[in-house]
Amino acid sequence: MPMQLTQALQANFINMNIVSLKNLTLTYQSLDSELLALDDISFDVKKEEFVSIVGPSGCGKTTILSLISGLNKPTSGSIKIMDKTPNLKDSVCGYMFQKDNLLPWRTIEKNIFFGLEIKKNLNKERKDYALTLAEKYGLKEFLKKHPNELSGGMRQRVALIRTLALKPELLLLDEPFSALDYQTRLELSDHIYEIIKKEHKTAILVTHDIQEAISMSDKIIVLSARPAKIKAIHTLDFDANLTPFERRKTDKAKELFDTIWQEIQNEKDKI
Amino acid sequence: MKKIKFSKAHYDFLRVYNTKKIVVLVSQISILICLILAWELLTKYEIISSFFFSSPSQIVKTVGELWKSGELIYHSGITLSETLIGFAIATGVGFLVAFMLWYSDFLRRVSEPYLVVLNSLPKIALGPIIIIWFGAGSKAIIFMCILIVVIVTILNILNSFTNCDKQLIALAMSLGANKFQIFFKLVLPSSLKDIVSTLKVNVGLSWIGAIMGEYLVSRAGLGYLLIYGGQVFNLNLVMTATVVLCVLASFMYFAVALFEKIMKKHFN
Ligand SMILES: Nc1ncnc2c1ncn2[C@@H]1O[C@H](COP(=O)(O)OP(=O)(O)O)[C@@H](O)[C@H]1O
Ligand SMILES: [Mg+2]
Repeated sequence: MPMQLTQALQANFINMNIVSLKNLTLTYQSLDSELLALDDISFDVKKEEFVSIVGPSGCGKTTILSLISGLNKPTSGSIKIMDKTPNLKDSVCGYMFQKDNLLPWRTIEKNIFFGLEIKKNLNKERKDYALTLAEKYGLKEFLKKHPNELSGGMRQRVALIRTLALKPELLLLDEPFSALDYQTRLELSDHIYEIIKKEHKTAILVTHDIQEAISMSDKIIVLSARPAKIKAIHTLDFDANLTPFERRKTDKAKELFDTIWQEIQNEKDKI
Repeated sequence: MKKIKFSKAHYDFLRVYNTKKIVVLVSQISILICLILAWELLTKYEIISSFFFSSPSQIVKTVGELWKSGELIYHSGITLSETLIGFAIATGVGFLVAFMLWYSDFLRRVSEPYLVVLNSLPKIALGPIIIIWFGAGSKAIIFMCILIVVIVTILNILNSFTNCDKQLIALAMSLGANKFQIFFKLVLPSSLKDIVSTLKVNVGLSWIGAIMGEYLVSRAGLGYLLIYGGQVFNLNLVMTATVVLCVLASFMYFAVALFEKIMKKHFN
């Protein structure tokens, strides 16, 4: 009997929406203007789902992430993260910003521990976990160096490990690969994809790279130009065993690319 | 530290670098020696008046006399302690106030016009008031010193605090950081450089404050020797006090520079 109960609970949990956005709008206020950034945004993200948000630049993608993380409050509408309103104090999100935001005066190792330190979670087990990740991403010999001694790709990895070290339930990734060269970008997206799947994490990825979105996502949300409205939602059904790199080469990916490209192109024409 | 074997080019580079450094140092010292020699010779043969210009040998003699009578230690001690106390209190208070104004946006906005006015006010104008309030003694001098140093300290350090990278703060906030964590882990380390340069400026300002205070009060100290020597036309005394002041100020400056070096080593 208890066995069945746990199973039922687990099944329930898997179907649960980790993120649920309903009719969000957000207006940025300033003294001499008002700017409607988000207009009636609603979507759900299920547990262990990988969702990408694509749209023309300046449409409001980063704004959506800042609302989910709790850094910003919506003008109207509701946000639920695991059935609760976003809360910075005990957040389940790991937010990786567009900029790597490494602290220049800290060594790479101390940068990786920064999140754990803020959360007062800097124990042996978490440190070891973070260091194992660092080793896996080829950062071992850089641990005692400072950020200005590392290349853009390396710095981005450090930022990623700093985020993963917190073992967040939900990863918010804001164009994490945009500063990288193509080679590194492909490699790193394979890595991140693998980690997210292996650790059963949920992720929301913001990107302007349609192929990247197709290669990693279970669901792609296409936004209109500002104010951002939802233009289309594509559910993807690739073979679960394909890596992002392998996905890119399928015909299905190419078809989907054309569709989404067209949708965004129409938006660009409007601006 | 590992021993690293460098190429020959690197040793050449080091040799050129060190040679340049020595040439600069030698030039600096020779200029000083030439100036002192010229001053001595010109006054010795009365090409310029030794009464108005004093002379290096007279200064040395005066230093010796003041040393023997204990006045050298007495007057420099007084000025030095006033300067150090003024420097310490003003820097400490300035830092605390800057922290409070950084912490509370409301306080910062309310106090802004007051700070601007206080900053542009020539503090020496408050001399008579200060003497009436604190009496004509060390207290008044230290207060004058604090007044001169504290406002600039507040403005400089606050400016550095508020210039901390907003993106870094957003990152810390997304991690659930409170304001104290943001201050100690982000704002303070990123303003260390500015804080050290504020300290350097404060050294100079504290000396100005102490000497100005002594001009007003005129009981003891190097500022008193300067004023007194000027009034009785004892240029030897004036020049001697000036030289002693130069030496003390340089020592204090080097102490801060040393502090800067240590900070740099610790925080890279
Ligand atoms: N703090 C802010 N205050 C005012 N306007 C902002 C602010 N942040 C973003 N915006 C504006 O909102 C729009 C959406 O921004 P953003 O979400 O960063 O777009 P994206 O990430 O899709 O490029 C842009 O036009 C931007 O100029
Ligand atoms: Mg953005």
